[in-house]
Amino acid sequence: MIRYDCFALLAPLITDQIVVTSLSGQKIEWAHLSKHEGNLLVGTMGTALGVGMGLAVALPQRKVIVLESDGSVLLSLFNLATLANLDLNNLIVFVFDNASYSGTRISEPTATAGKSDLAKMAQAAGIEKAVTVRDLQSFEQEMTAAMNENRLRFIVCKVEESTEHRNIPRTDMDPLENKYRFVRYLERTEGKKIVRSHG
Amino acid sequence: MEQELAQKLVTSLHEAGIDVITYLPETRLSQILPLIRSDDSFKLIPVSSEAEAITIGAGAALGGKQVAVYMECTGLYVSCYSILSIAKRFGVPLLLLIAHLGSFADQRNNSVYAVSGAYVTPVLDALEIQYRLVETGNNLEICIKDAARHTNALKLPVALLFSGEFTR
Repeated sequence: MIRYDCFALLAPLITDQIVVTSLSGQKIEWAHLSKHEGNLLVGTMGTALGVGMGLAVALPQRKVIVLESDGSVLLSLFNLATLANLDLNNLIVFVFDNASYSGTRISEPTATAGKSDLAKMAQAAGIEKAVTVRDLQSFEQEMTAAMNENRLRFIVCKVEESTEHRNIPRTDMDPLENKYRFVRYLERTEGKKIVRSHG
Repeated sequence: MEQELAQKLVTSLHEAGIDVITYLPETRLSQILPLIRSDDSFKLIPVSSEAEAITIGAGAALGGKQVAVYMECTGLYVSCYSILSIAKRFGVPLLLLIAHLGSFADQRNNSVYAVSGAYVTPVLDALEIQYRLVETGNNLEICIKDAARHTNALKLPVALLFSGEFTR
Protein backbone atom coordinates (compact mmCIF):
# COMPACT_ATOMS: atom_id res chain seq x y z
CA MET A 1 0.00 0.00 0.00
CA ILE A 2 1.27 3.48 -0.85
CA ARG A 3 0.02 6.75 0.56
CA TYR A 4 -0.97 8.22 -2.81
CA ASP A 5 -3.45 5.40 -3.42
CA CYS A 6 -5.01 5.99 0.01
CA PHE A 7 -5.32 9.69 -0.72
CA ALA A 8 -6.89 8.90 -4.10
CA LEU A 9 -9.63 6.99 -2.25
CA LEU A 10 -10.15 9.73 0.35
CA ALA A 11 -10.08 12.84 -1.87
CA PRO A 12 -13.38 12.21 -3.72
CA LEU A 13 -15.20 11.78 -0.40
CA ILE A 14 -14.39 15.29 0.82
CA THR A 15 -17.43 17.55 0.81
CA ASP A 16 -17.55 19.94 3.77
CA GLN A 17 -14.84 18.31 5.86
CA ILE A 18 -11.69 20.18 6.80
CA VAL A 19 -8.38 18.50 5.97
CA VAL A 20 -5.16 19.42 7.77
CA THR A 21 -1.99 17.97 6.29
CA SER A 22 1.42 17.37 7.71
CA LEU A 23 4.54 17.97 5.65
CA SER A 24 6.62 16.99 2.66
CA GLY A 25 5.26 14.26 0.40
CA GLN A 26 1.88 14.22 2.16
CA LYS A 27 1.30 17.88 1.55
CA ILE A 28 2.43 17.65 -2.09
CA GLU A 29 0.31 14.60 -2.86
CA TRP A 30 -2.81 15.86 -1.09
CA ALA A 31 -2.58 19.32 -2.65
CA HIS A 32 -2.27 17.63 -6.04
CA LEU A 33 -5.30 15.38 -5.53
CA SER A 34 -7.56 17.84 -3.71
CA LYS A 35 -8.07 21.51 -4.50
CA HIS A 36 -10.69 21.84 -1.76
CA GLU A 37 -10.83 25.21 0.00
CA GLY A 38 -11.09 23.40 3.31
CA ASN A 39 -7.49 22.16 3.00
CA LEU A 40 -5.00 23.60 5.44
CA LEU A 41 -1.55 22.58 4.25
CA VAL A 42 0.39 22.97 7.49
CA GLY A 43 3.61 21.56 6.14
CA THR A 44 5.78 21.34 9.26
CA MET A 45 6.79 18.43 11.50
CA GLY A 46 4.85 17.78 14.67
CA THR A 47 2.21 20.47 14.28
CA ALA A 48 -0.69 19.27 12.10
CA LEU A 49 -2.32 17.17 14.80
CA GLY A 50 -2.35 20.06 17.27
CA VAL A 51 -3.84 22.43 14.69
CA GLY A 52 -6.44 19.81 13.80
CA MET A 53 -7.40 19.38 17.45
CA GLY A 54 -7.87 23.13 17.81
CA LEU A 55 -10.06 23.27 14.71
CA ALA A 56 -12.13 20.35 15.97
CA VAL A 57 -12.66 22.18 19.28
CA ALA A 58 -13.67 25.40 17.52
CA LEU A 59 -15.97 23.72 14.99
CA PRO A 60 -17.61 20.78 16.79
CA GLN A 61 -20.29 20.35 14.12
CA ARG A 62 -17.74 19.84 11.34
CA LYS A 63 -15.60 16.80 10.61
CA VAL A 64 -11.87 17.49 10.80
CA ILE A 65 -9.43 15.10 9.12
CA VAL A 66 -5.72 15.21 9.95
CA LEU A 67 -3.21 13.60 7.63
CA GLU A 68 -0.10 12.88 9.67
CA SER A 69 3.13 10.95 9.30
CA ASP A 70 5.10 8.71 11.66
CA GLY A 71 8.04 11.08 12.03
CA SER A 72 5.73 14.02 12.68
CA VAL A 73 3.66 12.21 15.32
CA LEU A 74 6.83 10.93 17.00
CA LEU A 75 8.11 14.50 17.29
CA SER A 76 5.03 15.56 19.27
CA LEU A 77 4.01 12.44 21.18
CA PHE A 78 2.46 14.58 23.92
CA ASN A 79 -0.36 15.18 21.41
CA LEU A 80 -1.60 11.63 21.97
CA ALA A 81 -2.40 12.19 25.64
CA THR A 82 -4.14 15.47 24.92
CA LEU A 83 -6.04 13.97 22.01
CA ALA A 84 -7.26 11.11 24.20
CA ASN A 85 -8.50 13.41 26.92
CA LEU A 86 -10.17 15.91 24.58
CA ASP A 87 -11.99 12.94 23.01
CA LEU A 88 -13.16 14.93 20.01
CA ASN A 89 -15.84 12.96 18.20
CA ASN A 90 -15.49 15.04 15.03
CA LEU A 91 -11.83 14.24 14.44
CA ILE A 92 -10.21 11.54 12.31
CA VAL A 93 -6.44 11.15 12.38
CA PHE A 94 -4.72 9.18 9.64
CA VAL A 95 -1.05 8.51 10.28
CA PHE A 96 0.76 7.39 7.14
CA ASP A 97 3.57 5.37 8.62
CA ASN A 98 6.32 4.55 6.15
CA ALA A 99 8.80 3.90 8.98
CA SER A 100 11.22 6.41 7.54
CA TYR A 101 12.15 10.06 7.42
CA SER A 102 11.68 9.96 3.68
CA GLY A 103 12.07 13.71 3.29
CA THR A 104 15.74 13.16 4.04
CA ARG A 105 15.99 11.24 0.75
CA ILE A 106 18.21 8.65 2.37
CA SER A 107 15.38 6.71 4.04
CA GLU A 108 16.65 7.17 7.55
CA PRO A 109 14.43 4.91 9.72
CA THR A 110 12.00 6.25 12.32
CA ALA A 111 11.32 4.48 15.60
CA THR A 112 8.41 2.63 13.97
CA ALA A 113 10.96 0.79 11.82
CA GLY A 114 12.12 -0.67 15.12
CA LYS A 115 10.06 -1.60 18.17
CA SER A 116 7.63 1.31 18.36
CA ASP A 117 3.98 0.93 17.41
CA LEU A 118 1.98 4.16 17.05
CA ALA A 119 -1.46 2.54 17.34
CA LYS A 120 -0.46 0.83 20.60
CA MET A 121 1.00 4.09 21.87
CA ALA A 122 -2.26 5.86 21.03
CA GLN A 123 -4.26 3.15 22.80
CA ALA A 124 -2.02 3.41 25.85
CA ALA A 125 -2.54 7.18 25.82
CA GLY A 126 -6.28 6.53 26.09
CA ILE A 127 -7.50 6.70 22.49
CA GLU A 128 -10.01 3.88 22.36
CA LYS A 129 -10.36 3.55 18.61
CA ALA A 130 -6.74 3.34 17.45
CA VAL A 131 -6.04 0.75 14.79
CA THR A 132 -3.42 -0.23 12.23
CA VAL A 133 -4.24 -1.03 8.62
CA ARG A 134 -1.81 -2.66 6.23
CA ASP A 135 -3.64 -2.93 2.90
CA LEU A 136 -5.86 -0.76 0.74
CA GLN A 137 -9.01 -2.76 1.40
CA SER A 138 -8.62 -2.38 5.19
CA PHE A 139 -7.82 1.29 4.73
CA GLU A 140 -11.02 1.81 2.75
CA GLN A 141 -13.08 -0.02 5.38
CA GLU A 142 -11.68 2.05 8.26
CA MET A 143 -11.90 5.28 6.28
CA THR A 144 -15.55 4.66 5.36
CA ALA A 145 -16.47 3.82 8.94
CA ALA A 146 -14.65 6.87 10.24
CA MET A 147 -16.31 9.19 7.75
CA ASN A 148 -19.75 7.86 8.62
CA GLU A 149 -19.68 7.97 12.40
CA ASN A 150 -19.05 10.58 15.06
CA ARG A 151 -16.19 9.15 17.03
CA LEU A 152 -12.52 9.93 17.45
CA ARG A 153 -10.49 7.59 15.29
CA PHE A 154 -6.73 7.21 15.05
CA ILE A 155 -5.84 5.12 12.04
CA VAL A 156 -2.23 4.16 11.49
CA CYS A 157 -1.74 3.24 7.84
CA LYS A 158 1.39 1.18 7.26
CA VAL A 159 2.60 2.27 3.84
CA GLU A 160 5.63 1.60 1.71
CA GLU A 161 8.01 4.45 1.30
CA SER A 162 7.11 6.06 -2.00
CA THR A 163 8.77 8.71 -4.11
CA GLU A 164 5.52 9.49 -5.94
CA HIS A 165 5.49 13.07 -4.70
CA ARG A 166 8.84 13.83 -6.34
CA ASN A 167 7.13 13.57 -9.73
CA ILE A 168 4.28 15.89 -8.75
CA PRO A 169 4.49 19.65 -9.20
CA ARG A 170 4.46 21.38 -5.81
CA THR A 171 1.75 23.83 -4.92
CA ASP A 172 2.97 27.42 -5.00
CA MET A 173 0.34 28.51 -2.46
CA ASP A 174 2.16 30.03 0.51
CA PRO A 175 0.90 29.70 4.11
CA LEU A 176 -0.74 33.13 4.23
CA GLU A 177 -2.60 32.57 0.96
CA ASN A 178 -3.64 29.15 2.23
CA LYS A 179 -4.83 30.65 5.53
CA TYR A 180 -7.00 33.29 3.88
CA ARG A 181 -8.50 30.84 1.40
CA PHE A 182 -9.21 28.46 4.30
CA VAL A 183 -10.72 30.98 6.73
CA ARG A 184 -12.77 32.72 4.04
CA TYR A 185 -14.19 29.30 3.14
CA LEU A 186 -15.03 28.71 6.81
CA GLU A 187 -16.53 32.19 7.17
CA ARG A 188 -18.72 31.58 4.14
CA THR A 189 -19.84 28.09 5.10
CA GLU A 190 -20.09 28.64 8.86
CA GLY A 191 -21.69 32.07 8.51
CA LYS A 192 -19.39 33.68 11.04
CA LYS A 193 -16.57 36.17 11.16
CA ILE A 194 -13.08 34.73 11.76
CA VAL A 195 -10.62 37.41 10.63
CA ARG A 196 -11.05 40.35 13.02
CA SER A 197 -8.72 43.11 11.93
CA HIS A 198 -10.34 45.64 14.24
CA GLY A 199 -10.01 43.72 17.47
CA MET B 1 -1.64 36.23 43.66
CA GLU B 2 -4.53 37.63 45.64
CA GLN B 3 -7.92 36.19 44.80
CA GLU B 4 -9.27 39.61 43.92
CA LEU B 5 -6.52 40.11 41.35
CA ALA B 6 -7.09 36.65 39.91
CA GLN B 7 -10.78 37.47 39.48
CA LYS B 8 -9.91 40.77 37.85
CA LEU B 9 -7.64 39.02 35.38
CA VAL B 10 -10.30 36.47 34.44
CA THR B 11 -12.99 39.15 34.13
CA SER B 12 -10.66 41.15 31.89
CA LEU B 13 -10.08 38.14 29.63
CA HIS B 14 -13.82 37.64 29.37
CA GLU B 15 -14.45 41.28 28.55
CA ALA B 16 -11.69 41.22 25.93
CA GLY B 17 -13.64 38.47 24.13
CA ILE B 18 -11.32 35.57 24.91
CA ASP B 19 -13.28 32.33 24.67
CA VAL B 20 -10.62 29.59 24.42
CA ILE B 21 -7.64 29.22 26.73
CA THR B 22 -4.99 26.55 26.26
CA TYR B 23 -2.65 26.09 29.19
CA LEU B 24 -0.02 24.18 31.08
CA PRO B 25 -0.35 25.06 34.76
CA GLU B 26 2.38 26.91 36.66
CA THR B 27 2.79 28.52 40.07
CA ARG B 28 2.32 32.29 39.81
CA LEU B 29 -1.06 32.81 38.13
CA SER B 30 -2.60 29.42 38.90
CA GLN B 31 -5.48 30.94 40.91
CA ILE B 32 -7.08 31.94 37.63
CA LEU B 33 -7.66 28.32 36.60
CA PRO B 34 -10.60 27.42 38.89
CA LEU B 35 -12.19 30.77 38.05
CA ILE B 36 -11.88 30.14 34.32
CA ARG B 37 -13.11 26.57 34.71
CA SER B 38 -16.23 27.73 36.53
CA ASP B 39 -17.11 30.25 33.82
CA ASP B 40 -19.00 28.64 30.93
CA SER B 41 -18.00 31.38 28.53
CA PHE B 42 -14.49 29.92 28.39
CA LYS B 43 -13.36 26.65 26.86
CA LEU B 44 -10.31 25.66 28.91
CA ILE B 45 -7.95 23.19 27.22
CA PRO B 46 -5.27 21.53 29.33
CA VAL B 47 -2.23 20.38 27.37
CA SER B 48 0.86 18.30 28.00
CA SER B 49 3.37 20.67 26.41
CA GLU B 50 3.37 24.38 25.67
CA ALA B 51 4.30 23.41 22.11
CA GLU B 52 0.80 22.05 21.62
CA ALA B 53 -0.76 24.89 23.61
CA ILE B 54 0.29 26.97 20.61
CA THR B 55 -0.74 24.57 17.84
CA ILE B 56 -4.11 23.76 19.41
CA GLY B 57 -4.68 27.43 20.14
CA ALA B 58 -3.80 28.32 16.56
CA GLY B 59 -6.25 25.74 15.21
CA ALA B 60 -8.99 27.14 17.45
CA ALA B 61 -8.19 30.68 16.30
CA LEU B 62 -8.36 29.63 12.64
CA GLY B 63 -11.75 28.13 13.48
CA GLY B 64 -13.00 31.49 14.74
CA LYS B 65 -12.17 31.50 18.45
CA GLN B 66 -10.42 34.26 20.38
CA VAL B 67 -7.57 32.41 22.00
CA ALA B 68 -5.27 33.00 24.94
CA VAL B 69 -2.36 30.69 25.71
CA TYR B 70 -1.38 30.63 29.39
CA MET B 71 2.06 29.34 30.33
CA GLU B 72 5.09 29.74 32.56
CA CYS B 73 7.91 31.65 30.92
CA THR B 74 9.93 28.46 30.46
CA GLY B 75 7.07 27.30 28.25
CA LEU B 76 8.00 30.03 25.83
CA TYR B 77 11.27 28.21 25.19
CA VAL B 78 9.41 24.94 24.67
CA SER B 79 6.94 26.53 22.25
CA CYS B 80 9.32 28.55 20.04
CA TYR B 81 9.11 26.08 17.16
CA SER B 82 5.30 26.02 17.20
CA ILE B 83 5.17 29.80 17.37
CA LEU B 84 7.45 30.10 14.35
CA SER B 85 6.14 27.26 12.23
CA ILE B 86 2.43 27.85 12.82
CA ALA B 87 1.52 31.13 14.50
CA LYS B 88 4.01 33.27 12.62
CA ARG B 89 4.03 31.45 9.27
CA PHE B 90 0.24 31.47 9.04
CA GLY B 91 -0.26 34.78 10.82
CA VAL B 92 -2.46 33.63 13.70
CA PRO B 93 -3.57 35.95 16.51
CA LEU B 94 -2.83 34.48 19.94
CA LEU B 95 -2.72 36.30 23.26
CA LEU B 96 0.17 34.81 25.22
CA LEU B 97 -0.27 35.11 29.00
CA ILE B 98 3.19 34.42 30.38
CA ALA B 99 4.02 34.18 34.07
CA HIS B 100 7.43 35.82 34.15
CA LEU B 101 9.25 33.79 36.77
CA GLY B 102 12.75 34.94 37.49
CA SER B 103 12.08 38.53 36.43
CA PHE B 104 13.16 41.57 38.48
CA ALA B 105 9.73 41.97 40.03
CA ASP B 106 9.04 38.26 40.60
CA GLN B 107 8.20 38.21 44.30
CA ARG B 108 9.19 34.55 44.59
CA ASN B 109 12.36 34.86 42.56
CA ASN B 110 15.32 32.72 43.57
CA SER B 111 18.23 30.90 42.00
CA VAL B 112 15.92 28.27 40.54
CA TYR B 113 14.07 30.82 38.43
CA ALA B 114 16.41 33.74 37.82
CA VAL B 115 18.37 32.23 34.95
CA SER B 116 15.26 30.91 33.19
CA GLY B 117 13.60 34.28 33.49
CA ALA B 118 16.50 36.20 32.06
CA TYR B 119 16.04 35.04 28.49
CA VAL B 120 12.33 35.66 28.09
CA THR B 121 12.43 39.13 26.60
CA PRO B 122 15.46 38.40 24.38
CA VAL B 123 13.60 35.38 22.98
CA LEU B 124 10.44 37.42 22.40
CA ASP B 125 12.56 40.06 20.69
CA ALA B 126 14.23 37.42 18.53
CA LEU B 127 10.81 36.05 17.55
CA GLU B 128 9.62 39.62 16.90
CA ILE B 129 6.71 39.13 19.28
CA GLN B 130 5.51 42.39 20.77
CA TYR B 131 5.00 42.31 24.52
CA ARG B 132 4.11 44.33 27.57
CA LEU B 133 5.18 43.91 31.17
CA VAL B 134 2.27 43.80 33.62
CA GLU B 135 3.26 44.21 37.27
CA THR B 136 0.13 45.64 38.92
CA GLY B 137 -3.61 45.25 38.57
CA ASN B 138 -4.00 48.94 37.73
CA ASN B 139 -5.67 49.30 34.34
CA LEU B 140 -5.54 45.52 33.88
CA GLU B 141 -8.82 45.48 32.00
CA ILE B 142 -7.56 48.05 29.52
CA CYS B 143 -4.20 46.32 29.19
CA ILE B 144 -5.79 42.98 28.29
CA LYS B 145 -8.31 44.57 25.96
CA ASP B 146 -5.48 46.46 24.22
CA ALA B 147 -3.47 43.25 23.84
CA ALA B 148 -6.46 41.34 22.43
CA ARG B 149 -7.12 44.13 19.95
CA HIS B 150 -3.46 44.26 18.99
CA THR B 151 -3.09 40.52 18.35
CA ASN B 152 -6.11 40.68 16.01
CA ALA B 153 -4.84 43.78 14.27
CA LEU B 154 -1.39 42.30 13.76
CA LYS B 155 -2.65 38.77 13.09
CA LEU B 156 0.30 37.55 15.09
CA PRO B 157 0.87 36.47 18.69
CA VAL B 158 1.44 39.18 21.29
CA ALA B 159 2.53 38.59 24.86
CA LEU B 160 1.72 39.92 28.32
CA LEU B 161 4.43 39.17 30.87
CA PHE B 162 3.05 39.00 34.40
CA SER B 163 5.25 39.73 37.39
CA GLY B 164 5.14 41.96 40.51
CA GLU B 165 1.73 41.78 42.24
CA PHE B 166 0.84 38.75 40.19
CA THR B 167 3.69 36.71 41.67
CA ARG B 168 2.95 37.14 45.38
